[in-house]
This record gives sequence, C-alpha cells and structure tokens, in this order.
Amino acid sequence: MTSTVDPTIDPARATRGSSRLRALTFLRGTEFTLIVLSVVGFVALASTTGGNLLTGPTLTAVFQYLAVPILVGLAQMAVLAVGQMNLSVGVVTGFTAMVAAWLMVHIGLPAPLAVIAAVLLGGAIGLANGLLVVLTRINGFIVTLATMTVIDGLRYGVNGTGTFQNYSSGLVSLGQASLIGVPTVFILALLVAGAVAVFFRRAALGRQLLASGGNPLAARLSGISNDRAIVVAHVLSGLLAGVAGIVVVALSGSVNASIGDDLLLPSFAAPIIGGVALTGGVVAVLGTCLAAFIVRLVDVAQAQYSIDQSWVDLIVGGVVLGAVLVTQVRTGSREGRRR
Amino acid sequence: MTFIAEKLIKVFPGVRALDQATLRLEPGTVHALLGENGAGKSTLIKVVTGVYQPDGGRLLSTAGDGTLAEVSFSGPLDAQRAGIGVVHQERNLVPAFSVAENIALQAVPKRRGFVDHHAMRDLARRCLERLDVQLDVDRLVGELSVAQMQLVEIAKALAVDSTVLLLDEPTASLTADESDRLYDVVRSLRDQGQSVVLVSHKLEEVFAVADTVTVLRDGRSVAEAQPLANYSRDDVVTLMVGRAHADLHLETRKIDNQSQPALELDDVSTSLGHHGISLHVQPGEILGLYGLVGAGRSELARAILGLDAITGGALRIHGAPAHIGSVSQALQRYRLGYVTENRKEEGVFLDQTIARNVSVTVWRRLARAGLVRNKDERVLVDRYRDQLGMRISSPLQLAGQLSGGNQQKVSLAKWLAADCQILVIDEPTVGIDVRTKAAFHELIVGLADSGIAILLISSDLPEMITLADRIAVMSEYRIVGELDNDHRYEHTAHKVIRMIHAEVAS
Repeated sequence: MTSTVDPTIDPARATRGSSRLRALTFLRGTEFTLIVLSVVGFVALASTTGGNLLTGPTLTAVFQYLAVPILVGLAQMAVLAVGQMNLSVGVVTGFTAMVAAWLMVHIGLPAPLAVIAAVLLGGAIGLANGLLVVLTRINGFIVTLATMTVIDGLRYGVNGTGTFQNYSSGLVSLGQASLIGVPTVFILALLVAGAVAVFFRRAALGRQLLASGGNPLAARLSGISNDRAIVVAHVLSGLLAGVAGIVVVALSGSVNASIGDDLLLPSFAAPIIGGVALTGGVVAVLGTCLAAFIVRLVDVAQAQYSIDQSWVDLIVGGVVLGAVLVTQVRTGSREGRRR
Repeated sequence: MTFIAEKLIKVFPGVRALDQATLRLEPGTVHALLGENGAGKSTLIKVVTGVYQPDGGRLLSTAGDGTLAEVSFSGPLDAQRAGIGVVHQERNLVPAFSVAENIALQAVPKRRGFVDHHAMRDLARRCLERLDVQLDVDRLVGELSVAQMQLVEIAKALAVDSTVLLLDEPTASLTADESDRLYDVVRSLRDQGQSVVLVSHKLEEVFAVADTVTVLRDGRSVAEAQPLANYSRDDVVTLMVGRAHADLHLETRKIDNQSQPALELDDVSTSLGHHGISLHVQPGEILGLYGLVGAGRSELARAILGLDAITGGALRIHGAPAHIGSVSQALQRYRLGYVTENRKEEGVFLDQTIARNVSVTVWRRLARAGLVRNKDERVLVDRYRDQLGMRISSPLQLAGQLSGGNQQKVSLAKWLAADCQILVIDEPTVGIDVRTKAAFHELIVGLADSGIAILLISSDLPEMITLADRIAVMSEYRIVGELDNDHRYEHTAHKVIRMIHAEVAS
C-alpha cells in the first residue's frame, strides 16, 4: 500500500524537481534581487564618476567602511531571528570601542587582551539584555531601549567628550592594512558573517534559535527552551556589536563617545532589506551583507556627488520602508493564495 | 504498551473540566475518544501529553518488566520520553524548516554541536516510510499542502519512538480523499502494534476505523474503552448527549413570523469561505447558531459586522438591502451590535473605567463641542446597572476588576447604550459560573422580549436549547439545517447532533 499525498511526485523526480525549484526560488528571492541591485548600483556609480570609484584608495575605503555596517546588521539579525529587537546595537558598538581604547590608553593593557575584553563586554551586555527580557517578561524593545539609554550615558562616562588616540599602533596598522588588495577589516567582517551563517544553518543551537523564532509553541512542545533561545540570541548580538566596536577602534585610529550614534538605523536596514523576517524564524546572512553594501553605495554616492548628508538618511529610510512594504505585499499575497 | 489514565480530575477556575475521566489504551488498537464540545476531550489529551498536570487521578504505563507502573509528566518532554506522541489540532511545525528538520525537531541528531543532516534525513525517511508516504525530506514545510503537513506531524510524533499516538481531529482540514489516505496510515500503524487515539467529530470515520471507544460527557467517561462493535451510531450519540440539567426552563415564546425580519441573510457567501448562508431573525426572536468549534459561526458574525467581506448574496436589515463596511457603520446606521466571544481581548477595555467602557459606543452622541462629560457617562451606567443587574461599586471602577460575568454585562451594556435593534451575541457564558450563567440567560431572554432581534452563537448545547427560539446548525461554513426549538433537551439535542454528523459524514 502506498499512500502518496501528491501522486505526481516520485522521490527521484521530486529531488530533481526540487533542486530546479530551489534554483527558481533563488532567482525570485530577495538575495538575487540584491545581487543585481549591488552590481547595477556599483557599475552605475563607477561609470558616472568617471572611474574614480575604481581607483585604489577610494575602492579600499568603500570596503573598509562596509565592515561595521555588516557587523551591526548581523548583530540585529541575530535577535530578529528569535523575533526580538535590539535597540542597543549601535551604542554597544560605541561603548565597547571606547572601553577598548580606554583599556589600552589608561590601563596599558596589550591590544590583544583589550580586543578580547571589549568583545566579551559586548557579550555581557547582550547577556544582560537577554536575561532582563526572559526574567522580567518585559518586551525586548523596551528592555533594549532602556539599556540603550543607560549605555549611551556610560559611553560618555568613559572619557567624557574627549577623544582617545595613539593607542596600539600595531592594531591600527592591522586595521588599515589590506591583504591582496582587500581591507583586513572587510575580510574579518566576511569571516564573521560566514561563521554566523554556519551557526544558523548547521549548528544545533542556531537551528533551535530559528525554530523558536519560527513557531515558539512548536518549539516548546519539541523540548526547545524559548527563553534560552532569546538569551543566546541577545548574547550573540552583543558579541557581534563588540566585534564591530573593535573594527571601529582598529580602523579609525581615534575614538570618542559619539561613535555608534548613527548605527541604529543601518543595523535594522541591512537585515530588513536583506530579507530577514521581523517576526522571527528566518535569517539571511548573504542578504544582510548585500543590503549593507547597497546602503554603503548610497553613502559613497553622497561623497562622490557631494550630496547633502541629510539626503542619505532620507534615502536609506525610504529604502527600509520600501523593503518592508515589498516583503509585506509578497508574504501577504502568498498567504492569500494558501487560503 | 498499555497506558491507563485513571480517574483524572482537572479543575479550572469555575469549571471542572475533567471529573474522574478514565482512558484505557491497549497496543494494536485504534481508540476513539468522543464527546460534545466542552466534554473534556482536549483537556484529557493535554493531561495525557504532559501539557497540563492533573489535580487528581493517576497515569499508569507498562514498565519494562510488563507490569503497570505509575508515571507522572512534568511537561510535554516527559510524555514524549514515555512514548506518547501527539498531533495537536493546531499546526506545530516550523514553516521555514525542511520536512526532515521538522520531523527530527524533538531530538535533532547532532555531531559536535552541529546538526547531523545525514542522520536527520535518514530518521525522517524512516518515519515517513512507516507511514508509506513519499515526500522529499528537503522540501520546506511552508511549501506543503495541509494534508502533507498533517502527515509530517504524524511522522514527527513517530520520530520519538512513541507507542501511543494521539490524533486530535486529524481530518478537520482534509478533503475526503486525503482523509481516506490518512486512515490507511492509521490502520497500518495499528497493525504495527501502535495504540492510536482518535479524537474526531466525524462519526462515520470513527466507525470505519476505530476498534474501541471512550465517550466523555461533562468531564466524566460514560463509556470506558468499550468495543465499538457493541454500539450503534445512535447509542454513541445518546451517550454523548446524556441528560444535562437546565437551570432555566422557558415556554415556547410567540414570535411574529409575518413581520419584516430584523436581520436577513439570503444566499450569502463571504471571503472567509461561507457559502449559501440563508437565515433570518425576527424582532424579538432569538435565533441560535450552533455548530462545532471551527464551523465558521464567529466568522459569519465578523462578516455581518463588516469586518470581513460579503462576496455574494444579500444582507437585509429591516427589509432594506444593507452594505456594512465597518463596525461603526453597523452600529450607527443599522443599530447592529456584536457582543464578542473574547471579552478580555475584544469586549471590554480592562484598564478603563466602567463608565468609559459603557459609553464608548455613544461618545459621538454624548459629546458636546467634541468633549464628553464624565457626568453623562455615569448617567448612562446608572441606567444599565439596574437593568442588567451589574454588581459594581462605582461607575469609576476599572472594568478589569470585575468578575467575568459582570465584565460580560459591561460589554452588553455598551451595545444597549447604542440603542441596538439587532445583537449578535457570541458565546455569552464561556468561563462564567453556573449561577451567573442563569442570570445571564434571563437577561438575554428579557432583551428579546423587549423587541431586540438576537443572533446567539454558542457551543454550549444546553444553553442553546434553553434560550433559542429556533436553531440553525452550521458545519464547515454552511448552514446544514434549521429547526424550531421545543426546549426539550434530549429531543432537540439528538436532532441537532444528527444534523451535524449527517452533514460531516456525507
């Protein structure tokens, strides 16, 4: 007796069919759209600026300053995976940068130790966020809004409005270096993105986070702790923000307390444009990286054409809103079909 | 594995959901668990699967040496470890995950912290094979049909080596063809020695596939693990209905059937899937709309209220065609109000005063130069406090501090304040204690006597037979029958239940 629900599917054909289906899905998906947009945007920018974009220093800068947006985008994505938000991503990046610099300048800690301490500090703040959400049952939005405000103040507590500079020259020269023409900080961001992708795709813990975000009830009935998933997601988010903080320190050579002020919107922009579901359960590492690149292109265009900075925020805000609308229309029509 | 749930008791505030219910399961059988709405089936399943802890009674299961030993489950995981798998009525799959990952979700095969995809696929294929189902284990569950998802859920329940498998209304959203295939799967599992528990309202299917039966009524098991062959379908219906005590006995009320109906639906279809709905309510009449949970009754109310679209047929109010686009229009123009089922979520503003709650529907009328005076609101409350017998300390008390029954009265008062001529009342007494329930019943009848046309939605059959003048029966988004209510419980209950089951069976 064979009861095939869909009689047209035999397993062999199903597999072949589904790989073709998967290719089709990819072509229709967000990530393919973003690849096309990135290439078109880059080529357009390169040609209209008369090739200026392709000269060594400019090209290096494009990718050097892409590292932080990718990292904060991933930090936001980690909490979006479980259906949470983290408003403190930007200030944690700034705070960890300040603390790392302070450790090196005032405490005299060697750069490697300061780097590790700053990343762990990010993780600890994430842990605090996660525990607060789980233990108090207060909405994560509110909790991270509060911690954002607290850390915002702490950022200035480290060195007031003063600037740290002349810390570890080794770290700075490493941060500004390039490996076969590719900036080291960009390589670092890509490596981290790769690790995050593997974590969510293959690691048991990462899958549990996604299961919890995708259907909390099913996850609970399957023995997955939703509370643990929330805490882990926040810790991961904090760690990634910590890494972003280190990149800032290594790349710029000087840091002050205003770092991180302009990172909140980009942290949401990258995952949302990249196709991450705000409701949880779906992550898109490639999409987040591509979206960060596109937002970066808007920045570059501003610099190349000397556009007023306020237009950049307007454009990025508009793109985020548009991406959310497009996602809503697409999922809406899919649900409509199912019903 | 023999599994016995013995004399289970489960008490919720105001209601004894299980009152010494017993369920005995033997390996290699298909066991039907039957009962009317609210008889305690879902509660029993939740206790057996560890979601709820019982307040009394015990669970016994065959131990390794073949003797019965008491077991206790502190959560769903414990029940799974004891070999009890369940497919709940609501979907419990992660849409963005593959078939294989969903099946293995309770015990994902791991290697050094990473998911062992190879072992996971193997496990999923083995489970699907036991069901004789061929499905690509790499497909995303979100892309599957409802029937395929159902099979994935069963495979998921099997993945934890369950020997008892509970299926709660497994065919509720399947076509007849898909149901047949599902029952083939159930029979093959039985032949492999599984004990399958089937909860279904579709008696036809139950009689086709089940070997033994347990019938619940008011939380009690009135038939315990009896061979189904000893019963006819009528016997089972009689067991399910039994005798229920009526708190209030009403004589048949005189309804003027010649007058213009206050609310009339003529061959209405909706965007939610209703088809060919025709019914009418006269002024002063209570029309009961009965059906199983999920039959589409509240959804019909939503469509009448303009919350969802009416796509065909005609809706007439006092004889004139009506196109209701919003609740506010229903209220302002047609004097049509909806006393909602979820009073906590939809019916009252818990953090607001009673005065605000009652007057919310008439703020526009009360307002002078755009401002509403507190005094006017309080006058309004005083009027309904007596009429509805609301027990409140002050109109300024917060609605959230009231008992369920009084909250329901507040919810009702706001529609009366709006001077409604037609009221749709949805599940008025859910979660309300028996005494308040009787008072509420009198209140509803009183409203009808004053000339208001009432469409009463209830899953509580005794309540329906107590209150309604006529009963329309809905099943799967269609009206399957209508009858005059003679307020004789057994007589009418039989007729109503047959209407539902005859429809479902065909």
